[in-house]
Amino acid sequence: MLLRAGERPVTEVAVELGMSQPRASKHLRVLREVGLVRVRGAGKQRLYGLDARGLRPIHEWTGGFERFWAESFDRLDTYVQDLKRTRQEE
Amino acid sequence: MASARQEARESAPADREIMVSRVIDASRELVFEAFTEVRHLSRWWGPEGFTTTTRSFEFREGGVWDFVLHGPDGTDYPEWITWTEIVPPERIVLMHGESRDDPDAFESVLTLEPDAATTRVEMRTVFATRQQRDQAVEKYRAIEAGKQTLNNLAAYVAETLQKGEQG
Repeated sequence: MLLRAGERPVTEVAVELGMSQPRASKHLRVLREVGLVRVRGAGKQRLYGLDARGLRPIHEWTGGFERFWAESFDRLDTYVQDLKRTRQEE
Repeated sequence: MASARQEARESAPADREIMVSRVIDASRELVFEAFTEVRHLSRWWGPEGFTTTTRSFEFREGGVWDFVLHGPDGTDYPEWITWTEIVPPERIVLMHGESRDDPDAFESVLTLEPDAATTRVEMRTVFATRQQRDQAVEKYRAIEAGKQTLNNLAAYVAETLQKGEQG
């Protein structure tokens, strides 16, 4: 994706994708609404960038079963560390 | 023993098996303990945001853990676990289904191997058929419902963008 390289103003996005600026704005708006793209004002410009928070769950979702258990084992690890500390204090 | 285990591992068809492992910085006894009681299991079973409500629990060979898994989006999933083999503190074999006599229940083998001061936890699930494996993968995929919705949305957006580029 174009924004992977960094933040860009809508004018650059339009040029790179070979579409009109209103059309590029429309697409960026849709991407913003679903949380994949964020925007921030920098002086007069509005810069568009990837929203990592939106992308992470999509990454985690792939793999179904493995993901479920890998995440459970993350929590198991944390819990066992708590248990270890509690036992050492006793 | 090592060669026999290796053989078993190699003979298990990759397309019917799912393996998940983790190295935990704790003694094998302590890690094993986290699998033996509801008060422990309820603290870590399922990804972040998931909780459990236990109807009954008896940790012994032939015993049952009957519980409901609550998803972060409020969906409830009935779960039924039966232990078929328990060898403290190294091995637990369990059947994992949705209810008693679930024809789609599948077997998971948990092994705990000590490595210096740490413990390697490995869960190997071998499904009866590839179809059953795909079914389980699909079920767990559906469990993470919120994430699925987001993914559908991303697919929709990608499609819209593509159309925009063509048009």
